[in-house]
Amino acid sequence: MRSERYIPYVLILPSVLFLLFLFAWPLVEALLLSVRGGDGRWTLEHFQRMASDLYFKDAVRYTVLLTVVMVPLQVVLALCMAMLLGGINRGRDLFLYVWTIPLGISDLAAGIAWLAIFTERGYLNSFLQAVGVIQEPRLWLSYETPAMLFLAVVAAEVWRATAIVFVILVAGLQLIPKEYGEAAEVFGATPWRRFWRVTLPLLMPSLQVALILRTILALEVFAVVVALGGRNLPVLAGEAYFWYNAYQSPGVAAAYSVLILGISVVATLVYLRLMRPKQEAAA
Amino acid sequence: MNARLVYLTLAVLLALWVLVPIFLIATLAFSDRASVFAWPKGILPQQFSLETISFFFGVEGVGKAIRNSFLVAGLTLVLAVLLGAPAGYALARYRFAGADAYRVLILMTRAFPLAILAIPLAVRFINLGLYDTALGVALVHTALALPFAVLVTSSLFLGIPKELEEAAWTLGCTRVQAFLKVVLPLALPGLAATAIFAFVISWNEVFAATLLTLRERTLPAFLLTALNDSPLPFRFAGGFFLIVPALVFIFVIRRYLFTLWGIANR
Amino acid sequence: MAGIRVENIIKLFGKVRALNGVSLEVRDQEFVVLLGPSGCGKTTLLRIIAGLEHADTGRVFIGERDVTALPPRSRRIAMVFQNYAVFPHLTVFENIAFGLRMQKASPERVRAQVDRAATLMHIEGLLGRYPAQLSGGQRQRVAVARALAVEPEVLLMDEPLSNLDALLRLEMRAELKRLLAESRTTTLYVTHDQVEAMSLADRIAVMSTGNVVQYDVPMKIYQEPADTFVGGFIGSPPMNFLRLPVEGSQAKIQTLALDLPAAPQGREVLLGVRPEDLEAHPQPQPQSFPAEVLVVEPLGPHLLLTLAYEGQHLKVTVPPDFETRPGQTLWLRPQPGRLRWHDPGSGEALGHAR
Repeated sequence: MRSERYIPYVLILPSVLFLLFLFAWPLVEALLLSVRGGDGRWTLEHFQRMASDLYFKDAVRYTVLLTVVMVPLQVVLALCMAMLLGGINRGRDLFLYVWTIPLGISDLAAGIAWLAIFTERGYLNSFLQAVGVIQEPRLWLSYETPAMLFLAVVAAEVWRATAIVFVILVAGLQLIPKEYGEAAEVFGATPWRRFWRVTLPLLMPSLQVALILRTILALEVFAVVVALGGRNLPVLAGEAYFWYNAYQSPGVAAAYSVLILGISVVATLVYLRLMRPKQEAAA
Repeated sequence: MNARLVYLTLAVLLALWVLVPIFLIATLAFSDRASVFAWPKGILPQQFSLETISFFFGVEGVGKAIRNSFLVAGLTLVLAVLLGAPAGYALARYRFAGADAYRVLILMTRAFPLAILAIPLAVRFINLGLYDTALGVALVHTALALPFAVLVTSSLFLGIPKELEEAAWTLGCTRVQAFLKVVLPLALPGLAATAIFAFVISWNEVFAATLLTLRERTLPAFLLTALNDSPLPFRFAGGFFLIVPALVFIFVIRRYLFTLWGIANR
Repeated sequence: MAGIRVENIIKLFGKVRALNGVSLEVRDQEFVVLLGPSGCGKTTLLRIIAGLEHADTGRVFIGERDVTALPPRSRRIAMVFQNYAVFPHLTVFENIAFGLRMQKASPERVRAQVDRAATLMHIEGLLGRYPAQLSGGQRQRVAVARALAVEPEVLLMDEPLSNLDALLRLEMRAELKRLLAESRTTTLYVTHDQVEAMSLADRIAVMSTGNVVQYDVPMKIYQEPADTFVGGFIGSPPMNFLRLPVEGSQAKIQTLALDLPAAPQGREVLLGVRPEDLEAHPQPQPQSFPAEVLVVEPLGPHLLLTLAYEGQHLKVTVPPDFETRPGQTLWLRPQPGRLRWHDPGSGEALGHAR
């Protein structure tokens, strides 16, 4: 019966091979693609072209800015929702379902949904007209209104992705034994103090996971931005897409993807190093 | 008592925050052309019309894109479960050297923006004949869904006591028989939820799908590439159609949401 | 029906020796209990016999067949698990029929065997239910019925009563005893509960840290423990052990001199005596020694006293109407013929061949 030893390896082998082929290998390939010229020689040409591009600085700035604004918003909102859920008895399941609906909605669909609100003849302008702020439709999503476009992207992404953080946090809350909170209550801690001193520290692992996941996904933000503003608000993943598709330049596109990978890895390491992700969210 | 009212109000507001944009885009999708362009708009739909929706389905390529989307998502579902479930079972049932390393590999894939890897893959797929095929896109989507499938099925199998299998062995089953007769029936709802989850991941993915296809677009890829030169009714109808299956799927797997996301994120 | 024989079983978990060369024989139709504290290797031994674990060395025989290399399904055993392991997706009927279905038994035989097993376990009214609709005790009955239905050569039970509440456990214990006495199926039963072991077993194998320390009939194990571990593990409260000085072939408790069966190695010896084998008297008695009462615990059928003799603690049980209080000095008279002598170094009984 020694032969049983190989069973687990047989079971994981297909997925290992698959991940080697579709994860490890393209990872290496992306690196190679970004540092090799058409003649196969090592070059920094792609990175130079990327960095000297008109959109590059804005893409970096907006991507980082979006991440820094969206992720804390999502986490704080999700935390509030998770705590709020604890205070609801009747209709808890219904709220749970409704609040998690955005989980199934793609970034592209979210972008289009919010386009209906922010577009020239959309609901926002209709509302502003109804309350008398404006007379004629205003353009919110053009390159001349980057602040409003930025806001629209943030709104759409917070609308869509807060649910993911919410579910992670609720799942994390379920793992915390009730006794801790009850013990704190017995010792006279106010709900506010219980939250800060008991719940939040115990929720740290879930928060960390949520932050890492959301940060990485925020760094590849793409379809929402494209749906709302085309290239009016350049972001890194969008640039990678344009360089690959419109300019037919895989090298520069790969350089962008390596940049995104790099920032993601650094962000993950930072989260893992700092044992207090709470400060990260506030930073 | 007052606090409860405040809670309830906040909860309802949050529910509205989620529902209103969906309601608005649904309103637009079921309006006629004139209402879509009307200004100012009322919150309530003017009149119900299938004009926008039928216009959307009438656009050349939409039908094919929807078919492709189902095909790709279906392939992803099958591949993710077939590759992920055995690994999940191995992690749940066996203690073996390398299990931790494997876990790290799985978790690592989560720390990378995987869709971005479509760029080098696109180049390679052309040589392999996988470019612009449903299978090619499904492979990348499987890479996205596989870590979930492994971790979720692993927790799923962990939840089925090993003793049930052992009891089956002592009662005359081979390992395979015990799995089929005892473990599989118990794991089936969870496996179905995992599969649906993989389907949704694929259905929603746009970046890799766009880069890896040219003619064989999936629906999101088709919508994205058509965005800039398509009229608003087309976009709204497309966006709405993109949302609908997701809503249904989330409803179906809502019981498993926390297992799927909660466990998968530990 | 068949006996079980294991020879020189060694099992390592990493560097930990779970079983240290265990040999054991269970006779045909015998009910043997493997008894020991958690971590002693008793469950591992049972699982090796079932084929669920594999020994690093050693052989397992069921009847005359060497089953060491056989998978569980080929060993003609049945097992009852601690958590019952009743299949939640099958009805009670299909649970009990599971093993028969695997044997491809005819529908009539399945029907007959399931009915017989269900009747034995008094669950004939529950056959159409699913396990989720059953209580813990009922599930336990299903698990036993499922094992009996296949008419195994050997029945293996892994702490089958430990998940039941105390009252139910008492009831099931008596029922199991009746049932297995009737069916005369060779049974190996694992438990950490010494009362359960005493109640059920034809013979008890007491295990400690991967070894069988004593293998004998229950009363012998109780009265003549092979070493201080067995004496301390079996009986509640456990056996008292008093460290006493040796003079020649006698041990001394103050003025009381007790004969030793064999001359001990060193200058001290351990006296092993059960709490009920010390007679307590308020006045000095011949053949007794004084001890001071520390604690008095009324337990209903008797009082449990904790006493101190020269800094060593003793437990003694006395009738419930015995009047005493902490601080009082009592004279304790050991019952002759109920005393056990142990080597203070190894803990082994003097004159006991291991």
